[in-house]
Amino acid sequence: MKILVTVKEVATVEDEFEIEGTEIADQYLGADLNEWDDYAIEEAVQLQEAGVADEVVTVTIGPEDCEQTIRQALAKGADRAVRVWDDALEGVDLLDVNAKTQILSAVVEEEDPDLVLTGVQAGDDSFAATGVSVAEEIGAQWGAVVNHLEHEFDDGVASVRRELEGGVEELTDIELPAVLTIQTGINEPRYASLRGIRQAQRKELDVQGLADLGVDEGEIEGDLTLTDMYEPESESDATIWEGSPEETAAELGEMLRNKGVAP
Amino acid sequence: MEFGLSEEQEQIREEVERFAKNEIVPEAEKYDVEETFPHEIVDKAADMGLVGSSIPIEYGGAGYSTLESVLIAEELFSWDPGIALSIMACSFGTEAIREFGNEDQKERFLEPVAMGEKISGAAISEPDTGSDVSSVSTRAEKDGDEWVVNGNKMWITNGTVGDFFVVLCKTNPDAEGRYNGFSQIVVESDRDGFSSDKITGKLGIRASDTAELIFDDVRVPEENLIGTQDAAFMQQMQFFDATRTGVAAQGVGIAKGALRAALEYAQDREQFGQPISEFQAIQHKLADMATQTEAARNLTYKAAWNVDQGNDITKLASMAKEYTSRVAVDVSNEAVQIHGGSGYVNDFPVERFYRDSKITQIYEGTSEIQKNVIARELLGKGF
Ligand SMILES: Cc1cc2nc3c(=O)[nH]c(=O)nc-3n(C[C@H](O)[C@H](O)[C@H](O)COP(=O)(O)OP(=O)(O)OC[C@H]3O[C@@H](n4cnc5c(N)ncnc54)[C@H](O)[C@@H]3O)c2cc1C
Repeated sequence: MKILVTVKEVATVEDEFEIEGTEIADQYLGADLNEWDDYAIEEAVQLQEAGVADEVVTVTIGPEDCEQTIRQALAKGADRAVRVWDDALEGVDLLDVNAKTQILSAVVEEEDPDLVLTGVQAGDDSFAATGVSVAEEIGAQWGAVVNHLEHEFDDGVASVRRELEGGVEELTDIELPAVLTIQTGINEPRYASLRGIRQAQRKELDVQGLADLGVDEGEIEGDLTLTDMYEPESESDATIWEGSPEETAAELGEMLRNKGVAP
Repeated sequence: MEFGLSEEQEQIREEVERFAKNEIVPEAEKYDVEETFPHEIVDKAADMGLVGSSIPIEYGGAGYSTLESVLIAEELFSWDPGIALSIMACSFGTEAIREFGNEDQKERFLEPVAMGEKISGAAISEPDTGSDVSSVSTRAEKDGDEWVVNGNKMWITNGTVGDFFVVLCKTNPDAEGRYNGFSQIVVESDRDGFSSDKITGKLGIRASDTAELIFDDVRVPEENLIGTQDAAFMQQMQFFDATRTGVAAQGVGIAKGALRAALEYAQDREQFGQPISEFQAIQHKLADMATQTEAARNLTYKAAWNVDQGNDITKLASMAKEYTSRVAVDVSNEAVQIHGGSGYVNDFPVERFYRDSKITQIYEGTSEIQKNVIARELLGKGF
């Protein structure tokens, strides 16, 4: 079985920051691997270690700068990586879901994986739509917000547990090829080992342009425009309990139950 | 001249930082207060390959060079020196096995350390032998195909948690010249006649295990002698450049961590209606701390780079070790000062950095000894 994992370098923000126009000022920004993708990679690598998957490939859309972040996945065990970038993408302000779908679907077509794993969402722009949109585009089945995946794929079927709202979960059988959007907590992502980091330097990282993938430049022009960015006024309503851990924990539990947060 | 880190080196640093923030920082105070060895964290570090990172790939390590080991030590020590030392010291003594051991010894001793299954130690110091290493009196005598070891070793890192120790023993008391007649012999801690006694009440690096070792007619097979009999000093001297550079990296890390904490506190703490970082007195402290740290770092990286080129750098390694440990003590001292009363208690990490920093001026050759070495080299005197 071949697994394709979509990964993204996301912007991270310091606790205190300033907004300039529609962007957070550069000096408050860092970069890291999208948290959800870290879980997707771990799941793929575990499937490989269990002998279920024989190849794990990652794909990202991003400039050369993001290679260091993307290599994290290689260091954790992915076999090779594909990075898509193009001068045409340089000029795009906001790469919308449709554009990402066109590009990633072209990569899926080229790689022909049995399983595509994406994060539920990207921590920075939070569209939370790319995985499902790709599935639709390539005509595959999908499962969204997956927090457990059985590692036996009997008769080409993935058995997944999905997280619904309000603490409800459902079990679904999904026929392969399929796209699963992976929720945090599905596993415990490993640290890249030093040996892994070393080996990752020698793994293949293939760079492809839009033309290589047969994606038309016109398809990546978005209909979305970012018009404003601001911090919402926040109202704080803090309850502080004093006393022993036993007492205060019980009081907290009671409140969470009353508010419907805990079952 | 190339001053930047490679992408791979930067990635190592970032992953170590991630590990330290998640696994070490939340536990650091506890292990310091309780003075216990952080087995759980060390196990996780071993999974990541942080233990024995310089052990060659064929024996399960990552085969990293001195410079990479320096980067790892710097990053780990910048979060908590006690736990950092517990991790980094898991392979103490193995450099001799790596360089002079035979195939069988490498498999027996290097592999399990790289895998995190065994912890090693280096036993040189004794109750009456510190700076003057040539006065070692622990004795190993040949009896048939075994060595029989008798004596005491003092201040041994990993003394009560280690599985084996590379022990500096006198094997030929009649040898001429004060540096001759010593051998390095591996003594496993489960041998009859071996015991150890944990030393408590340390000023700093309290998570790291330190103990006295007692050898009472301990018998080990002759295959446990590393390299050439009676030539341990010549063997061990080859690693001074690397090990001193390693302690220099610890100092850079401590300075970096103390500076990080001070910078944060100075911007948070307000007095006279403004953050104390607005006072020039505090700003100048921060500027000095940052400059000293950077200078120490450059000296250390230069030393590490030279070790990796195979250059002999006795003087440079001693300079790095002496200067960096001094910077670690000075910077952590100023970091406590910037914290005021809050720096005097363990609500903040600077109190620990201050206590932990001092050891870097003592072990692996005291500051006085390093200066002796530097001066001797400057004046062209042999050792
Ligand atoms: C926490 C800890 C961990 C340690 N881990 C290990 C370990 O794993 N393995 C190991 O073998 N050892 C270890 N040591 C021992 C350490 O290496 C020694 O403490 C160190 O070498 C100094 O020796 P000493 O304590 O006997 O001091 P001494 O040599 O007695 O020195 C006392 C003072 O005299 C000064 N002095 C001595 N000789 C001279 C000279 N010629 N010129 C000028 N000044 C001089 C010293 O600089 C120092 O200020 C450890 C020590 C500690 C505290």
